[in-house]
Amino acid sequence: MGLLCSKNRHYTEADAEENSQAAEIERRIEQETKAEKHIQKLLVLGAGESGKSTIFKQIKLLFQTGFDDAELRSYISVIHANIYQTIKILYDGSKEFAQNDADSSKYVLSSENKVIGEKLSEIGSQLDYPCLNRELAHEIETLWKDSAIQETYVRGNELQVPDCAHYFMENLQRLSDANYIPTKEDVLYARVRTTGVVEIQFSPVGKNKKSGEVYRLFDVGGQRNERRKWIHLFEGVTAVIFCAAISDYDQIEDEQKNRMMESKELFDWVLKQPCFEKTSFMLFLNKFDIFETKVLKVPLNVCEWFKDYQPVSTGKQEIEHAYEFVKKKFEELYFQSTAPDRVDRVFKIYRTTALDQKLVKKTFKLVDETLRRRNLFEAGLL
Amino acid sequence: MGVLVFGKCRQLSLVNWSKKAITRKWKRWRFVGENEDTAVFFPSKDLSKSTLFPYLVLHFTLCHENEELQHQFLYLIGYQKTMASCAIDGGCPSDYVAVVTAICSMILLILKSSFPFLIHKVPRAKGSSFWIPVIQVIASFNFLLSIVMSGNFLKYRKSHWWLSCYVWGVWVEGPLGFGLLMSCRIAQVFQLYYVFVKRRLPPIRSHIFLPLILLPWIAGAAFIHGKKPLNYRCHLETYWIIPVVCLHASYVAVLVGFTGAIRHIEFRFDELRDLWQGILVSASLIGVWVSAFILNEVHDDISWLQVASRFILLIVASILVPVFFSISISQPLLSQISLRKREPLEFKTMGQALGIPDSGLLLQREQAVVIDPNEPLDKLLLNKNFRRSFMAFADSCLAGESVHFFEEVHELGKIPIDDPVRRIYMARHIINKYIIAGAAMEVNISHRIRQEILTTTDLTRPVLFTNALNELMQLMKMNLGKDYWSSLYFIKFKEEASMRSNGHEMEQMTGYFSPRLSSVHATDDPFQHDHISRGSSQDIHDSYPQ
Repeated sequence: MGLLCSKNRHYTEADAEENSQAAEIERRIEQETKAEKHIQKLLVLGAGESGKSTIFKQIKLLFQTGFDDAELRSYISVIHANIYQTIKILYDGSKEFAQNDADSSKYVLSSENKVIGEKLSEIGSQLDYPCLNRELAHEIETLWKDSAIQETYVRGNELQVPDCAHYFMENLQRLSDANYIPTKEDVLYARVRTTGVVEIQFSPVGKNKKSGEVYRLFDVGGQRNERRKWIHLFEGVTAVIFCAAISDYDQIEDEQKNRMMESKELFDWVLKQPCFEKTSFMLFLNKFDIFETKVLKVPLNVCEWFKDYQPVSTGKQEIEHAYEFVKKKFEELYFQSTAPDRVDRVFKIYRTTALDQKLVKKTFKLVDETLRRRNLFEAGLL
Repeated sequence: MGVLVFGKCRQLSLVNWSKKAITRKWKRWRFVGENEDTAVFFPSKDLSKSTLFPYLVLHFTLCHENEELQHQFLYLIGYQKTMASCAIDGGCPSDYVAVVTAICSMILLILKSSFPFLIHKVPRAKGSSFWIPVIQVIASFNFLLSIVMSGNFLKYRKSHWWLSCYVWGVWVEGPLGFGLLMSCRIAQVFQLYYVFVKRRLPPIRSHIFLPLILLPWIAGAAFIHGKKPLNYRCHLETYWIIPVVCLHASYVAVLVGFTGAIRHIEFRFDELRDLWQGILVSASLIGVWVSAFILNEVHDDISWLQVASRFILLIVASILVPVFFSISISQPLLSQISLRKREPLEFKTMGQALGIPDSGLLLQREQAVVIDPNEPLDKLLLNKNFRRSFMAFADSCLAGESVHFFEEVHELGKIPIDDPVRRIYMARHIINKYIIAGAAMEVNISHRIRQEILTTTDLTRPVLFTNALNELMQLMKMNLGKDYWSSLYFIKFKEEASMRSNGHEMEQMTGYFSPRLSSVHATDDPFQHDHISRGSSQDIHDSYPQ
């Protein structure tokens, strides 16, 4: 009998400990679930090279700790890789145009520059790029200044030359310095194709203040193979920031597809997703800086979607007119692709240049206000 | 059954007899009398003993619309039913047995084809590797159904156009049944021929090639439909049989030709055996069908022969259709799974299936090396333990396809250059899984490099995937590399490495915390799945967390 009693007592103690552990776990789960509910999930979507990761970097710079020295240094290899890849694309492109184009003579390099070109093309196809030193930088600069390469650069829209090309080529001396540390601007210009998903959590009022919303921002890859991964992120999204590079209206994607058309179809697909029934949409019409230069030289109606565009004037007026036309097209697309039961969801369009930190900060503040107002409306407080 | 049709030739039904056929038949009937549009015959002495038609009244109508007689239509307007009329109408007990056998055969075929997907949850492949077997299953179903519907197994009124002999006996049996089956098999052999003999991907995609080789069947069916040589029992006249059999046999001959061209290849997944099996099956079917036809035509008054011949035809077709089906050609790895295998399948990688040494194994005896983040990533990835850890991290960020691709290309590199067959298997597997647009684990490479691989003239080239690998290494270095060093996966990897090595110094952690993970705490990470606890076997079809 005594043994039985002592056994029961032992059992009760172990049981009680287990119960208290379980209760603690429950409490923590409840706490975390409650915390999770206040975190707003934002997705940055868009076609390849539309500026998603640049927006992502800007958010990190604006609302998180930014980039420390180690992170800045980690971009050196990326920037050097961009330079080698760009010059290779341009050199290979000039060779292709020299062979196939009707007016091939303007794409033919001088014999000395051909030697440099072959060398740099070989470097560009290697797995590991050499560190960009003065000598290599000088060779790249020489090749960049060749008229054949400049002519090829003019047709960069056919070769998918990255937008950072001009910026980096004009700063070669600085970038090849032995003690070079990238600036924030260099980091924003650096082109890294995103694969998979990257996530950060931030609050627009700063982490030290408690009254602001907390956002969890997801950046994704924009190429076709990356898009099939997006579906894993579609649940519980507060807002989608869709980036569309409006300067892409004359850019040719793989298989001769126009990039603006690709962006249009992608936006249409995203709008129709069942998970986004109540999701707010923030459309960032990005790369306005490139757009405003290009639209005066290349007519908007080279893009099939904009074939009914008629220019009205020149200069700034024309830029504004062209921008408003593009904006209207996206608005029309939004309403065509939105079912009647979804018209209540928030839809805003913003003109952005992802490289411009002030503009991005201002834009994001507006986004934040819109989302806070929406939350208050849904809570019945507005 | 009584097919009662009255009236003018505009209201024709499906029961047509050509004059020549009925002339031959008239010898068995004693003409009694006729008026303007009706002729009455009584059975001749021989037929009077027949249990089929005690009497026969034929309604004989001319088409007055044309000057010349184009067709003379005879309408069977009545006859007395007898017990043995199931030979004509269908519904004999043996007919039901044959139909049930056909149904069981189809169920078996569907199970055989869907077993890997249902039981082992293997994800669906893309492209022709999936669609050709599916079309084969559909064609098998069409073929069996056409035999049932046009062979008078069941009693039903053929009063609608979609129940006519021409729909089932011509279109469904030909272009949608036997013809489609043979065309699928020829398309598969065509692929094998190009891949293993020419060592390149086929120049014509399957979705274009298949309709092309189906064209003769469609043309033949349209021609027969136009000429309307079928009788009310869905039988062709004798002189029509020769071209029809020739069409069937020609496709078997083409299959034999292609199979002969690849017979010297040492296939590893029973493709050749399945091909010869398919040829035997299709030849046998044609033989049985011709035999049944001849017996029916010669002795169409012998009811038991009619019933027996169609019974044998359907039974043989039901047995041979599942035997004909094979997925070894389109999806060789899936063909390793069968309904007979009971053990829980440790799903094989292509590398394991090809016998590549150490494929998919995490060998415990591998040296524990100190991992230096400054080393090039491609060198670090050669260490299997590190590769597993990096792969788990990449999978957790939905970016694992690059690492999987690296691993399988690395395995391809282990196959000797003088073993082209295995190299081709592995190369084809890698292309189907990683390179083709829309593939299960399509990697993020440029269009130019993708096209270089897809248009290569030699699948055995050692440098086939080098450019793609270089591009992906750049992507991994710039994207995943720096995030990995500050991730929990690397921490765990180091712990495991130090446990294995017992005495090696712990690698010092440097740098910052990864922006891939939540900046608050790791449990916020929505992708925190249990990849760290993955063991030595890697399911190659396990793409991303669901």
